[in-house]
Amino acid sequence: MRWRGTLLYIGQRLLLIVFTVLAVSSIVFIGIHRLPGSVFVSERLRASQMQALLHQYGLDRPLWEQYRDFLLGLLHGDLGISYVNQGVRISPLVGREALVSAEVGALALLFTIGLGMLLGVLAAIRQNTWLDYLFTSTAVVGYSMPNFVVATFLLLVFAVFLQRATGGMLYYQIGWTGTFGSLGEISIPAFALGFPYASVVARLTRASMLEVIRQDYIRTARAKGLPEQLVIVRHALRNALIPVITILGPLVIGILTGSVVIENIFGIPGLGKEFVQSILNRDYNIVVGVFTMYAALVGIANLLVDLLYPLVDPRIRY
Amino acid sequence: MSPPLLEVRDLRIRFFTEDGEVRAVEGVSFDLQEGEILGIVGESGCGKSMTALSIMGLVPEPGRVTGGEIRFKGRDLLSMAPDEVRDIRGKDIAMIFQDPLSSLNPVLKTGFQVAEPMLAHQRADKRRALARAVDLLRQVRVPAAEQRARDYPFQLSGGMRQRAMIAMGLANAPSMLIADEPTTALDVTVQAQILDLLRTLNRETRTAIVLITHNLAVVAGLCSRVIVMYAGQIVEEGSVFDLFERPQHPYTWLLLRSVPRLDRTRPERLRSIEGLPPDLIAPPPGCRFHPRCPFRIEPCFTEPPPLQEVGPGQRAACWVTMRRAHEEMGAATLLDVRPGAGSGVHGPIREPHRG
Ligand SMILES: Nc1ncnc2c1ncn2[C@@H]1O[C@H](COP(=O)(O)OP(=O)(O)O)[C@@H](O)[C@H]1O
Ligand SMILES: [Mg+2]
Repeated sequence: MRWRGTLLYIGQRLLLIVFTVLAVSSIVFIGIHRLPGSVFVSERLRASQMQALLHQYGLDRPLWEQYRDFLLGLLHGDLGISYVNQGVRISPLVGREALVSAEVGALALLFTIGLGMLLGVLAAIRQNTWLDYLFTSTAVVGYSMPNFVVATFLLLVFAVFLQRATGGMLYYQIGWTGTFGSLGEISIPAFALGFPYASVVARLTRASMLEVIRQDYIRTARAKGLPEQLVIVRHALRNALIPVITILGPLVIGILTGSVVIENIFGIPGLGKEFVQSILNRDYNIVVGVFTMYAALVGIANLLVDLLYPLVDPRIRY
Repeated sequence: MSPPLLEVRDLRIRFFTEDGEVRAVEGVSFDLQEGEILGIVGESGCGKSMTALSIMGLVPEPGRVTGGEIRFKGRDLLSMAPDEVRDIRGKDIAMIFQDPLSSLNPVLKTGFQVAEPMLAHQRADKRRALARAVDLLRQVRVPAAEQRARDYPFQLSGGMRQRAMIAMGLANAPSMLIADEPTTALDVTVQAQILDLLRTLNRETRTAIVLITHNLAVVAGLCSRVIVMYAGQIVEEGSVFDLFERPQHPYTWLLLRSVPRLDRTRPERLRSIEGLPPDLIAPPPGCRFHPRCPFRIEPCFTEPPPLQEVGPGQRAACWVTMRRAHEEMGAATLLDVRPGAGSGVHGPIREPHRG
């Protein structure tokens, strides 16, 4: 009985994601085809050659016809072919890149939540001690520092200062798809991506924790004779998590947009890198494909976040 | 008579706030016998909860117990190491609170919360503790206890929640249960059921109960002995019968006049006590009740009255006492005494500066 509601909810949300993805890719498709210029402008072709190329790729047809074909393809999961890397199919390409971005993003999120919660809780239970002041001021520095500053700084430290020790750690081979085993490869970019948000989470956790430990049920827990660590971990922490979870949605979006910058700085072959490249190249289909994948990632990540709510707060049911 | 289960001597609690030291509890002493139900009454803010929490070692910041002794089974809780007190908490002395909804953790199942005191004191493994939690819920008359144990607190009614709190308190069969306003947050019919439950449990398990309330009717139905507190001090103490029949402190007397009584045929005017309890940072000199007392005489303004015998087993802290007020003013005049009006046994000596 309980699960039926949840499954129904998931079904509805997935349907919504499909519609969102369709809408996003349509808008991007139409928008990008209406931009002046075309894929081939940089190739300095004669007008007749240009015409021939456009004809070869069907780009001289009316826009609605192109759009219809695009939609038909999309419904089959086919995003067409690249114009620049001629003949390369886009769906597997952006699919692979989305996986890389998701992996880096997930680790960044783990840093954000793990580090943020840890610092927030410690600051709260040591309120107004030097530890609290240290963490609180670190958090202020953390979130007033954009992720590219953190990234550049980390590059400097690990790739330049510590070059002997790290070797080629920050070097990603062409065609690297993010092997799930090598955390070393992605942990530094993930940290740069997650750190500013970890500061946000730390501040929120601290505030929420301070609120929770004043609650009556914490007094009840102490009245039972529970040791203080159990009072904090079992009774306070889970309740303090509730407001933190509400910012996970915006956080996921922040991390995904942040990944555009981070992937370009570290040269990680994910969606973010492809995003910039394909726009510079006017590689229409890839631009549309990248946006499509981003829309899907945001939708799925938000669904996962929403599914977390009832796990943490039993008062929420779908 | 066997030694008391709990002896509180000259208890002092202060809150160290930015505005100054709040003298929340000052010089409170009382005994609790095994199996007894003791009532503590008084207006809100008079120090009932802090007295109770000090027994548990749970006085909140910025408060601190600044003096006195709390002897439980002969051992002074105040001089024990924190871990020793924690070992007694929830095992030998349990406490339940006013608002059962906010006092239960919203994200943990009721059954687990009832079982937790057993786990905290290693009385049972988790499976057995959970099974016993269901038994306890049954014992406190929770219907469909097995199902309720699997529910979260928000899924229970107010009465069920307070029953669950009581079950939690009884989990380790404590020799003493402190109930701080256990019925204040509940509606009247449920109140009666909960009080009934406490009475039954006291009879069946011989658990001594300290019942804290601002409601005299609650005390009348349940307790054998009552302590009346005002502004952090005990003003009167005695058996329920004596206190209700022959209150000697004007505060008790006025408190009784502020509740309707069905057992009286003589018409009485219901009156609430005028004025407010004093500021505990700078309490009034002399008797703390004198600014609101209709019977004050000269010493009341300067000399704090000691708690002294006013009858067999009854003590009051008053320079006048109601007996003398009756003798000198007569019952008819007393009926018209307006609390705080300063009609006085000898008339007001001088107007105290007000406000
Ligand atoms: N956190 C606090 N800060 C300062 N003073 C407090 C605090 N908590 C309680 N007090 C003081 O202790 C007094 C007694 O409080 P309490 O024991 O809760 O009263 P009761 O339970 O009788 O209503 C209050 O009147 C107040 O002056
Ligand atoms: Mg209270």
